[in-house]
Amino acid sequence: MVTSLLSTDDLTQARALLEATGLQFETPYDDMVGIFEAGRLVAVGARQGRTLKMLAVAPSHQGGTLLDEVVTELVGRGYQEGVDSFFVFTSPALAPNFETLNFHLLAASGKTALLEYGDGLKRYLARFTRLVRPGNNGAIVANCNPFTLGHRYLVEQAAAAVDQLFLFVVREERSLFPFGARMRMVQDGTADLANVTVVDTSWYAISSITFPTYFLKDGDPGGAIQMELDLTLFAQRIAPHFYVKTRFVGSEPLCGTTAAYNEAMHRILPPLGIEVREIERKNADQQPISASRVRDMLLRGELEGIAELVPVSTLDFLLSSEGIKIWDKGGAR
Amino acid sequence: MKIVKKAQAGTMQSSDLMVFLEPAETLNVTIESTVLKQFGPLIRAKVDEVLQKHGVEAGEVRITDRGALDYAIEARLETAIMRATEG
Repeated sequence: MVTSLLSTDDLTQARALLEATGLQFETPYDDMVGIFEAGRLVAVGARQGRTLKMLAVAPSHQGGTLLDEVVTELVGRGYQEGVDSFFVFTSPALAPNFETLNFHLLAASGKTALLEYGDGLKRYLARFTRLVRPGNNGAIVANCNPFTLGHRYLVEQAAAAVDQLFLFVVREERSLFPFGARMRMVQDGTADLANVTVVDTSWYAISSITFPTYFLKDGDPGGAIQMELDLTLFAQRIAPHFYVKTRFVGSEPLCGTTAAYNEAMHRILPPLGIEVREIERKNADQQPISASRVRDMLLRGELEGIAELVPVSTLDFLLSSEGIKIWDKGGAR
Repeated sequence: MKIVKKAQAGTMQSSDLMVFLEPAETLNVTIESTVLKQFGPLIRAKVDEVLQKHGVEAGEVRITDRGALDYAIEARLETAIMRATEG
Protein backbone atom coordinates (compact mmCIF):
# COMPACT_ATOMS: atom_id res chain seq x y z
CA MET A 1 0.00 0.00 0.00
CA VAL A 2 1.22 3.48 -0.84
CA THR A 3 1.39 5.82 2.14
CA SER A 4 2.53 9.35 2.83
CA LEU A 5 6.06 9.69 4.15
CA LEU A 6 5.96 12.13 7.03
CA SER A 7 7.78 10.93 10.15
CA THR A 8 11.48 11.38 10.75
CA ASP A 9 12.01 7.64 10.41
CA ASP A 10 10.13 7.65 7.06
CA LEU A 11 12.34 10.42 5.75
CA THR A 12 15.54 8.78 6.98
CA GLN A 13 14.58 5.61 5.13
CA ALA A 14 13.65 7.62 2.03
CA ARG A 15 17.03 9.32 2.03
CA ALA A 16 18.84 6.00 2.40
CA LEU A 17 16.83 4.39 -0.42
CA LEU A 18 17.44 7.32 -2.75
CA GLU A 19 21.15 7.37 -2.06
CA ALA A 20 21.37 3.59 -2.51
CA THR A 21 19.95 4.01 -6.02
CA GLY A 22 22.22 6.92 -6.95
CA LEU A 23 19.73 9.73 -6.41
CA GLN A 24 19.65 12.61 -3.97
CA PHE A 25 17.12 13.75 -1.42
CA GLU A 26 16.04 17.07 -2.90
CA THR A 27 13.88 19.49 -1.00
CA PRO A 28 11.49 21.17 -1.47
CA TYR A 29 8.58 18.97 -2.45
CA ASP A 30 4.80 19.15 -2.03
CA ASP A 31 4.09 15.49 -1.49
CA MET A 32 6.14 12.37 -0.79
CA VAL A 33 4.87 8.80 -0.77
CA GLY A 34 6.32 5.34 -0.42
CA ILE A 35 5.63 1.65 -0.06
CA PHE A 36 6.74 -0.36 3.00
CA GLU A 37 7.30 -4.06 3.24
CA ALA A 38 7.75 -5.48 6.75
CA GLY A 39 8.64 -2.03 8.06
CA ARG A 40 11.24 -1.42 5.38
CA LEU A 41 10.75 1.25 2.71
CA VAL A 42 11.04 -0.37 -0.74
CA ALA A 43 9.74 2.37 -3.06
CA VAL A 44 9.61 6.15 -2.88
CA GLY A 45 8.50 9.11 -4.99
CA ALA A 46 7.75 12.81 -4.58
CA ARG A 47 6.01 15.63 -6.41
CA GLN A 48 6.97 19.29 -6.52
CA GLY A 49 4.35 21.25 -8.42
CA ARG A 50 4.07 19.55 -11.81
CA THR A 51 7.33 17.66 -11.50
CA LEU A 52 7.65 14.11 -10.18
CA LYS A 53 11.04 13.45 -8.63
CA MET A 54 13.00 11.25 -6.24
CA LEU A 55 11.43 8.14 -7.79
CA ALA A 56 13.26 5.03 -6.65
CA VAL A 57 12.59 1.34 -6.10
CA ALA A 58 14.85 -0.87 -3.97
CA PRO A 59 17.03 -3.09 -6.20
CA SER A 60 15.54 -6.20 -4.56
CA HIS A 61 12.03 -5.11 -5.60
CA GLN A 62 12.60 -3.84 -9.14
CA GLY A 63 10.79 -5.34 -12.12
CA GLY A 64 7.39 -5.37 -10.43
CA THR A 65 4.64 -2.79 -10.19
CA LEU A 66 5.92 -0.65 -7.32
CA LEU A 67 6.91 2.28 -9.55
CA ASP A 68 3.45 2.16 -11.16
CA GLU A 69 1.82 2.32 -7.73
CA VAL A 70 3.93 5.23 -6.53
CA VAL A 71 3.38 7.25 -9.71
CA THR A 72 -0.37 6.49 -9.67
CA GLU A 73 -0.62 7.85 -6.14
CA LEU A 74 1.40 10.99 -6.89
CA VAL A 75 -0.57 11.77 -10.06
CA GLY A 76 -3.95 11.01 -8.42
CA ARG A 77 -3.23 13.26 -5.44
CA GLY A 78 -1.70 15.98 -7.59
CA TYR A 79 -4.76 15.99 -9.85
CA GLN A 80 -7.02 16.48 -6.81
CA GLU A 81 -4.88 19.47 -5.88
CA GLY A 82 -5.44 21.05 -9.28
CA VAL A 83 -2.34 19.95 -11.21
CA ASP A 84 -3.39 18.77 -14.66
CA SER A 85 -0.10 17.80 -16.28
CA PHE A 86 2.93 16.04 -14.85
CA PHE A 87 6.59 15.89 -15.85
CA VAL A 88 9.46 13.66 -14.91
CA PHE A 89 13.22 13.97 -15.40
CA THR A 90 15.17 10.78 -15.73
CA SER A 91 18.12 9.33 -17.59
CA PRO A 92 17.47 8.44 -21.27
CA ALA A 93 18.11 4.77 -20.43
CA LEU A 94 15.23 4.74 -17.92
CA ALA A 95 12.79 6.67 -20.14
CA PRO A 96 11.08 3.48 -21.46
CA ASN A 97 10.03 2.60 -17.88
CA PHE A 98 7.96 5.75 -17.89
CA GLU A 99 6.79 5.40 -21.48
CA THR A 100 4.97 2.19 -20.54
CA LEU A 101 3.08 4.31 -17.97
CA ASN A 102 1.88 6.59 -20.79
CA PHE A 103 4.55 9.22 -20.27
CA HIS A 104 5.83 10.74 -23.52
CA LEU A 105 9.38 11.79 -24.22
CA LEU A 106 9.56 15.55 -24.80
CA ALA A 107 13.31 15.94 -25.17
CA ALA A 108 16.54 14.20 -24.35
CA SER A 109 19.92 15.84 -24.05
CA GLY A 110 23.04 14.14 -22.81
CA LYS A 111 22.29 12.41 -19.52
CA THR A 112 18.82 13.82 -19.00
CA ALA A 113 15.43 13.06 -20.53
CA LEU A 114 12.23 15.02 -19.90
CA LEU A 115 8.94 13.18 -20.15
CA GLU A 116 5.35 14.36 -19.79
CA TYR A 117 2.37 12.40 -18.55
CA GLY A 118 -0.50 12.73 -21.00
CA ASP A 119 -0.79 14.66 -24.23
CA GLY A 120 -0.33 18.22 -23.00
CA LEU A 121 2.19 19.22 -25.67
CA LYS A 122 -0.08 17.96 -28.44
CA ARG A 123 -3.02 19.90 -27.05
CA TYR A 124 -0.86 23.01 -26.62
CA LEU A 125 0.28 22.88 -30.25
CA ALA A 126 -3.24 22.16 -31.51
CA ARG A 127 -4.41 25.46 -29.98
CA PHE A 128 -2.37 27.34 -32.57
CA THR A 129 -2.86 25.24 -35.70
CA ARG A 130 -5.35 27.74 -37.12
CA LEU A 131 -2.90 30.63 -36.74
CA VAL A 132 0.03 29.02 -38.54
CA ARG A 133 0.77 29.66 -42.21
CA PRO A 134 3.51 27.59 -43.83
CA GLY A 135 6.48 29.69 -44.86
CA ASN A 136 9.85 30.96 -43.76
CA ASN A 137 8.77 31.75 -40.21
CA GLY A 138 10.64 33.02 -37.19
CA ALA A 139 10.25 33.00 -33.41
CA ILE A 140 11.12 35.09 -30.38
CA VAL A 141 10.69 33.80 -26.84
CA ALA A 142 10.48 36.61 -24.31
CA ASN A 143 9.16 37.37 -20.86
CA CYS A 144 8.31 41.02 -21.62
CA ASN A 145 8.28 42.08 -17.98
CA PRO A 146 7.23 44.72 -19.08
CA PHE A 147 7.18 45.15 -22.90
CA THR A 148 9.80 47.78 -23.83
CA LEU A 149 11.03 49.63 -26.92
CA GLY A 150 13.90 47.12 -26.85
CA HIS A 151 11.42 44.28 -27.40
CA ARG A 152 9.64 46.35 -30.00
CA TYR A 153 12.88 46.92 -31.91
CA LEU A 154 13.75 43.21 -31.83
CA VAL A 155 10.25 42.32 -33.05
CA GLU A 156 10.40 44.84 -35.90
CA GLN A 157 13.80 43.60 -37.07
CA ALA A 158 12.74 39.98 -36.90
CA ALA A 159 9.32 40.52 -38.50
CA ALA A 160 10.97 42.24 -41.49
CA ALA A 161 13.14 39.17 -42.10
CA VAL A 162 10.48 36.42 -42.09
CA ASP A 163 7.02 35.60 -43.46
CA GLN A 164 5.37 35.15 -40.08
CA LEU A 165 6.89 35.92 -36.69
CA PHE A 166 5.70 34.09 -33.58
CA LEU A 167 6.28 35.96 -30.37
CA PHE A 168 6.13 33.46 -27.51
CA VAL A 169 5.38 35.18 -24.23
CA VAL A 170 6.58 33.24 -21.17
CA ARG A 171 3.53 31.83 -19.40
CA GLU A 172 5.18 31.25 -16.03
CA GLU A 173 4.05 33.46 -13.15
CA ARG A 174 7.43 34.26 -11.64
CA SER A 175 7.69 37.89 -12.68
CA LEU A 176 6.64 41.29 -11.37
CA PHE A 177 3.98 41.63 -14.08
CA PRO A 178 1.44 38.79 -14.21
CA PHE A 179 1.11 36.83 -17.45
CA GLY A 180 -2.22 38.44 -18.39
CA ALA A 181 -0.74 41.93 -18.11
CA ARG A 182 2.42 41.01 -20.06
CA MET A 183 0.35 39.38 -22.79
CA ARG A 184 -1.83 42.48 -23.14
CA MET A 185 1.17 44.84 -23.29
CA VAL A 186 2.71 42.69 -26.03
CA GLN A 187 -0.51 42.45 -28.02
CA ASP A 188 -1.14 46.20 -27.79
CA GLY A 189 2.49 46.97 -28.57
CA THR A 190 2.61 44.83 -31.73
CA ALA A 191 -0.96 45.20 -33.02
CA ASP A 192 0.20 47.30 -36.01
CA LEU A 193 2.61 44.62 -37.26
CA ALA A 194 0.56 42.42 -39.60
CA ASN A 195 2.83 39.38 -39.67
CA VAL A 196 3.39 39.11 -35.91
CA THR A 197 1.38 36.50 -34.00
CA VAL A 198 1.49 36.56 -30.21
CA VAL A 199 1.24 33.19 -28.44
CA ASP A 200 2.13 31.82 -25.01
CA THR A 201 4.81 29.28 -24.10
CA SER A 202 2.66 27.22 -21.73
CA TRP A 203 5.09 24.94 -19.79
CA TYR A 204 7.16 24.15 -22.84
CA ALA A 205 9.71 26.97 -23.08
CA ILE A 206 11.50 28.93 -20.35
CA SER A 207 9.24 27.56 -17.64
CA SER A 208 9.77 26.20 -14.15
CA ILE A 209 9.78 22.79 -15.87
CA THR A 210 12.12 23.31 -18.80
CA PHE A 211 14.39 25.94 -17.28
CA PRO A 212 13.73 26.57 -13.58
CA THR A 213 16.92 28.50 -12.88
CA TYR A 214 16.04 31.15 -15.51
CA PHE A 215 14.04 32.81 -12.79
CA LEU A 216 16.92 32.78 -10.31
CA LYS A 217 19.33 35.26 -11.80
CA ASP A 218 22.88 33.95 -12.01
CA GLY A 219 21.48 30.57 -11.08
CA ASP A 220 23.26 27.34 -10.30
CA PRO A 221 25.36 25.21 -12.67
CA GLY A 222 22.43 22.79 -13.16
CA GLY A 223 21.11 25.55 -15.38
CA ALA A 224 23.35 24.47 -18.26
CA ILE A 225 21.63 21.10 -18.62
CA GLN A 226 18.24 22.71 -18.36
CA MET A 227 19.04 25.18 -21.13
CA GLU A 228 19.94 22.28 -23.39
CA LEU A 229 16.67 20.50 -22.70
CA ASP A 230 14.69 23.70 -23.13
CA LEU A 231 16.32 24.45 -26.49
CA THR A 232 16.16 20.85 -27.73
CA LEU A 233 12.45 20.74 -26.95
CA PHE A 234 11.98 24.02 -28.80
CA ALA A 235 13.89 22.91 -31.89
CA GLN A 236 12.48 19.39 -32.16
CA ARG A 237 8.89 19.70 -31.03
CA ILE A 238 7.73 23.32 -31.08
CA ALA A 239 9.49 25.01 -34.02
CA PRO A 240 8.37 22.48 -36.68
CA HIS A 241 4.70 22.99 -35.80
CA PHE A 242 5.06 26.72 -36.50
CA TYR A 243 7.36 26.31 -39.54
CA VAL A 244 9.91 28.27 -37.54
CA LYS A 245 13.36 28.20 -39.11
CA THR A 246 14.97 31.13 -37.30
CA ARG A 247 15.02 32.11 -33.65
CA PHE A 248 15.72 35.76 -32.95
CA VAL A 249 17.20 37.04 -29.74
CA GLY A 250 18.47 40.36 -28.43
CA SER A 251 22.14 40.59 -27.48
CA GLU A 252 22.54 40.43 -23.71
CA PRO A 253 25.20 42.65 -22.16
CA LEU A 254 23.65 42.78 -18.68
CA CYS A 255 22.28 39.52 -17.29
CA GLY A 256 24.56 36.50 -16.86
CA THR A 257 21.85 33.85 -17.07
CA THR A 258 20.37 35.30 -20.25
CA ALA A 259 23.81 35.72 -21.83
CA ALA A 260 24.54 32.04 -21.11
CA TYR A 261 21.17 31.12 -22.61
CA ASN A 262 22.01 33.07 -25.79
CA GLU A 263 25.35 31.30 -25.97
CA ALA A 264 23.60 27.93 -25.59
CA MET A 265 21.24 28.87 -28.44
CA HIS A 266 24.16 29.37 -30.83
CA ARG A 267 25.58 26.01 -29.79
CA ILE A 268 22.43 23.86 -29.76
CA LEU A 269 19.90 25.22 -32.25
CA PRO A 270 21.85 25.33 -35.56
CA PRO A 271 22.70 21.57 -35.53
CA LEU A 272 18.95 20.94 -35.03
CA GLY A 273 18.08 23.03 -38.09
CA ILE A 274 17.18 26.34 -36.44
CA GLU A 275 19.18 29.40 -37.39
CA VAL A 276 19.94 31.86 -34.57
CA ARG A 277 20.02 35.59 -35.28
CA GLU A 278 21.27 37.78 -32.47
CA ILE A 279 20.19 41.37 -32.85
CA GLU A 280 22.09 44.20 -31.21
CA ARG A 281 20.22 45.78 -28.30
CA LYS A 282 18.65 49.16 -28.86
CA ASN A 283 20.13 51.86 -26.64
CA ALA A 284 18.65 54.86 -24.87
CA ASP A 285 21.03 57.33 -23.22
CA GLN A 286 23.99 55.14 -24.27
CA GLN A 287 22.64 52.27 -22.19
CA PRO A 288 20.83 49.21 -23.49
CA ILE A 289 17.07 49.26 -23.03
CA SER A 290 16.05 46.40 -20.81
CA ALA A 291 12.95 45.42 -18.88
CA SER A 292 14.94 45.22 -15.66
CA ARG A 293 16.03 48.84 -16.14
CA VAL A 294 12.36 49.83 -16.50
CA ARG A 295 11.41 47.84 -13.39
CA ASP A 296 14.17 49.48 -11.36
CA MET A 297 12.95 52.94 -12.40
CA LEU A 298 9.35 52.05 -11.59
CA LEU A 299 10.26 50.73 -8.16
CA ARG A 300 12.30 53.87 -7.46
CA GLY A 301 9.43 56.05 -8.68
CA GLU A 302 11.45 57.62 -11.53
CA LEU A 303 8.54 57.87 -13.92
CA GLU A 304 9.88 60.68 -16.15
CA GLY A 305 12.53 58.64 -17.96
CA ILE A 306 10.32 55.62 -18.59
CA ALA A 307 8.55 57.16 -21.59
CA GLU A 308 11.86 56.90 -23.49
CA LEU A 309 12.13 53.17 -22.81
CA VAL A 310 8.64 51.80 -23.49
CA PRO A 311 6.03 52.21 -26.24
CA VAL A 312 3.00 54.40 -25.58
CA SER A 313 0.82 51.31 -25.19
CA THR A 314 3.00 50.01 -22.34
CA LEU A 315 3.22 53.43 -20.71
CA ASP A 316 -0.58 53.70 -20.77
CA PHE A 317 -0.80 50.36 -19.00
CA LEU A 318 1.88 51.19 -16.43
CA LEU A 319 0.07 54.39 -15.50
CA SER A 320 -3.40 52.81 -15.44
CA SER A 321 -4.85 52.02 -12.02
CA GLU A 322 -4.32 48.30 -12.76
CA GLY A 323 -0.70 48.91 -13.73
CA ILE A 324 0.11 51.09 -10.73
CA LYS A 325 -1.17 48.40 -8.38
CA ILE A 326 1.43 46.01 -9.78
CA TRP A 327 4.56 48.11 -9.31
CA ASP A 328 3.62 50.55 -6.57
CA LYS A 329 3.72 48.12 -3.67
CA GLY A 330 3.02 49.90 -0.41
CA GLY A 331 3.30 53.44 -1.78
CA ALA A 332 6.92 53.52 -2.91
CA ARG A 333 6.37 56.96 -4.43
CA MET B 1 -25.62 13.11 -15.09
CA LYS B 2 -23.63 16.29 -15.08
CA ILE B 3 -19.92 16.47 -14.28
CA VAL B 4 -19.71 19.13 -11.59
CA LYS B 5 -16.17 18.64 -10.28
CA LYS B 6 -12.82 17.10 -11.06
CA ALA B 7 -12.51 13.41 -10.40
CA GLN B 8 -10.09 10.61 -11.09
CA ALA B 9 -10.24 6.82 -10.93
CA GLY B 10 -8.02 3.89 -11.80
CA THR B 11 -4.29 3.22 -11.67
CA MET B 12 -1.28 3.22 -13.95
CA GLN B 13 -0.71 -0.49 -13.60
CA SER B 14 -0.70 -2.83 -16.55
CA SER B 15 -4.19 -3.95 -17.67
CA ASP B 16 -5.69 -0.91 -15.97
CA LEU B 17 -6.44 2.67 -16.95
CA MET B 18 -6.54 6.13 -15.39
CA VAL B 19 -9.66 8.23 -15.95
CA PHE B 20 -9.67 12.00 -15.41
CA LEU B 21 -12.94 13.96 -15.55
CA GLU B 22 -13.43 17.71 -15.46
CA PRO B 23 -16.43 19.98 -15.99
CA ALA B 24 -16.59 21.57 -19.46
CA GLU B 25 -19.11 23.18 -21.79
CA THR B 26 -18.87 20.48 -24.44
CA LEU B 27 -17.94 16.81 -24.43
CA ASN B 28 -14.30 16.24 -25.28
CA VAL B 29 -12.81 12.76 -25.02
CA THR B 30 -9.08 12.07 -25.41
CA ILE B 31 -7.72 8.56 -25.20
CA GLU B 32 -4.11 7.53 -24.87
CA SER B 33 -3.23 3.90 -24.81
CA THR B 34 -0.27 1.62 -25.21
CA VAL B 35 -2.55 -0.43 -27.50
CA LEU B 36 -4.21 2.50 -29.30
CA LYS B 37 -3.21 1.19 -32.72
CA GLN B 38 -4.89 -2.17 -32.17
CA PHE B 39 -7.86 -1.24 -29.98
CA GLY B 40 -8.38 2.54 -30.20
CA PRO B 41 -11.84 2.39 -31.83
CA LEU B 42 -13.04 -0.33 -29.43
CA ILE B 43 -11.91 1.66 -26.38
CA ARG B 44 -13.61 4.74 -27.76
CA ALA B 45 -16.86 2.82 -28.41
CA LYS B 46 -16.86 1.50 -24.86
CA VAL B 47 -16.22 4.96 -23.40
CA ASP B 48 -19.03 6.47 -25.48
CA GLU B 49 -21.38 3.69 -24.41
CA VAL B 50 -20.71 4.26 -20.70
CA LEU B 51 -20.98 8.05 -21.00
CA GLN B 52 -24.28 7.65 -22.82
CA LYS B 53 -25.59 5.16 -20.28
CA HIS B 54 -25.04 7.73 -17.54
CA GLY B 55 -26.29 10.65 -19.61
CA VAL B 56 -22.99 12.51 -19.53
CA GLU B 57 -23.26 15.09 -22.31
CA ALA B 58 -20.49 17.51 -21.41
CA GLY B 59 -17.09 17.35 -19.78
CA GLU B 60 -13.39 16.90 -20.36
CA VAL B 61 -12.70 13.17 -20.37
CA ARG B 62 -9.06 12.06 -20.42
CA ILE B 63 -8.12 8.41 -20.43
CA THR B 64 -4.67 6.85 -20.30
CA ASP B 65 -4.88 3.13 -20.77
CA ARG B 66 -2.46 0.24 -20.44
CA GLY B 67 -4.44 -2.47 -22.14
CA ALA B 68 -7.47 -2.65 -19.84
CA LEU B 69 -10.30 -5.02 -20.76
CA ASP B 70 -13.85 -3.80 -21.44
CA TYR B 71 -15.20 -4.33 -17.95
CA ALA B 72 -12.21 -2.55 -16.37
CA ILE B 73 -12.85 0.44 -18.65
CA GLU B 74 -16.51 0.42 -17.68
CA ALA B 75 -15.80 0.09 -13.94
CA ARG B 76 -13.15 2.82 -13.83
CA LEU B 77 -15.17 5.25 -15.92
CA GLU B 78 -18.33 4.66 -13.86
CA THR B 79 -16.40 5.21 -10.64
CA ALA B 80 -14.99 8.48 -11.95
CA ILE B 81 -18.46 9.60 -13.09
CA MET B 82 -19.89 8.86 -9.61
CA ARG B 83 -17.09 10.86 -8.01
CA ALA B 84 -17.50 13.75 -10.45
CA THR B 85 -21.25 14.03 -9.95
CA GLU B 86 -21.97 13.25 -6.31
CA GLY B 87 -22.85 16.20 -4.08
